[in-house]
Amino acid sequence: MIELSNLTKSFNSGQPNQFTAVDNVTLAINPQQITVLKGPSGSGKTSLLSMIGCMARPTSGRIFLRGVAAALPFRQDGADAVEITSLPERFLNEIRRSTFGFIFQQFNLVKGISVLENVMLPAYPTGEGRAEFRARAVSLLEQFSIARLASQRVELLSGGELQRVAIARALINNPSIIIADEPTAHLDSKLSHEFMEIVGRLKGEGKSVLIASHDPIVFDSPLIDTLVEMRDGAIVASRSCR
Amino acid sequence: MILQPAVLALLLIALLVAGMGIYAGYYGMRILGQWDPASGSEGQLELERRTYLVSTIMSYILSFELMSLFLFIYTADELHPLFTGAMCAAGTLAVNSFGYPALIIKVVNFLLAGVWLIVNYADNRGYDYPLIKVKYELLNLLVPLLVLEGVLLFAYFAGVKPDIITSCCGSLFSHESSGFSGDLAMLPHLPMQIAFFSGMAVTGASGLFFYIRGRAGYLFSISSTVTFLVAVASVLSFICLYFYELPTHHCPFCLLQKEYGYIGYFLYATLFGGVVAGIGTGVLMPFRKVGSLIRIIPAIQRRLVLVTLCCYLLFTLITGWKMVFSALTLG
Repeated sequence: MIELSNLTKSFNSGQPNQFTAVDNVTLAINPQQITVLKGPSGSGKTSLLSMIGCMARPTSGRIFLRGVAAALPFRQDGADAVEITSLPERFLNEIRRSTFGFIFQQFNLVKGISVLENVMLPAYPTGEGRAEFRARAVSLLEQFSIARLASQRVELLSGGELQRVAIARALINNPSIIIADEPTAHLDSKLSHEFMEIVGRLKGEGKSVLIASHDPIVFDSPLIDTLVEMRDGAIVASRSCR
Repeated sequence: MILQPAVLALLLIALLVAGMGIYAGYYGMRILGQWDPASGSEGQLELERRTYLVSTIMSYILSFELMSLFLFIYTADELHPLFTGAMCAAGTLAVNSFGYPALIIKVVNFLLAGVWLIVNYADNRGYDYPLIKVKYELLNLLVPLLVLEGVLLFAYFAGVKPDIITSCCGSLFSHESSGFSGDLAMLPHLPMQIAFFSGMAVTGASGLFFYIRGRAGYLFSISSTVTFLVAVASVLSFICLYFYELPTHHCPFCLLQKEYGYIGYFLYATLFGGVVAGIGTGVLMPFRKVGSLIRIIPAIQRRLVLVTLCCYLLFTLITGWKMVFSALTLG
């Protein structure tokens, strides 16, 4: 479970142009479920996801990861929860690698290298043997029916193929939480539905999935468990869809 | 003041160390007063980020501080031809009343800075700032000494003028000298040799015991510290005599000169490196059971013990080798 406690993210704090992107958000995100953050542009969805995914630090508030502590290499014996906002950067790196898989709006794949290398990239800093994570990457490409593209450069792929590569890359370190920021923004309806099917499969495999989206295909999907509505940095509604 | 590059470098380092020390000390005071890991307030989160910055800056600054001790004695040695009567760094340091106090405070700061770096290293390995209070308490003890060091260095170098007539090391470290240096030089050879080798043996045995069993860390730490003091006294009492092959020359600074292969730098580096690691082992002892460091501190301590053992072994081997092969035989 991810617990957010009074989370606030302000830019230019104390300045006349201070902007509060996330305003005092308290939320519990259940494990092994699909949670969607819904809201218009500027509602704070991406800022919130960035903080949960250890890519940005809050101005105030705490984030607790419960139930994933066992996967962390620096965990304390017997500790169930890890508070991540206080962690020094070197520990955040480890959490980002071991706990989270990211799917970005623009996919952020590295041009000039192959599909397989793109998928393998996040595994290099873990210290794991290359042969092991290469086999896992090939297996993921097979799982998403894009194994035939393994040696292709990513700039030659279609939108749907790019998205599958991005999902495979997010899964290479076997994370327990998948974070997707507007994953269907550049996809047509058919590919968006395909994406949601993949997300449903990931949930079935025991992953927690957290999506920020204002696409009805995502937030009206029957697969999602919790819908959190945001506006102006605050949560205006949160409901279970089950 | 003599404007020599090494002097300017030392003054610059002193200024930097004191300035950054005051900056870090300010945050140290805030952390000691306001640190509350249970709070998610903006102030607490700002302190958490700031301590990471402060400890990174201080680890570089205090590394400079460690090196600057050797630069200081090197500079003192290099400047000695400028002063009538000076034969080595001993004479240069005696040109005014700030030289030896500056050296002593630099030695004290070297030891404290080394220990702080060890505590900081251990703290940074834990994910929940486990030693933060200890680290900043130690830093707040160190900061006034760093400032004092800067003041003494400026006072010393400001008073260094080329026309000063000073004392030579032969008179400063002789049996006739009435000061503490003379007392050390007068220490009898044989009891000091017994004390020196016994100290090294006890430190070696307690270090090996700690390395294998993980116990008696305090004993090892105390033993390494006492042995360091005995070794320093032994340098003046008998070790340097074997290098100079003169029964009456007790100067600890001439060892730094080219005639003796600059062996003094190596001897002092092993001695100071060994004692810092030894003290560090003891300082970490109370924190072996701290949750996030429960596996980390024993591993750090084992490495520190190894450093001390290697350093002291090298010091002992060089001393022993010189005692055996020197042309001098002490009665």
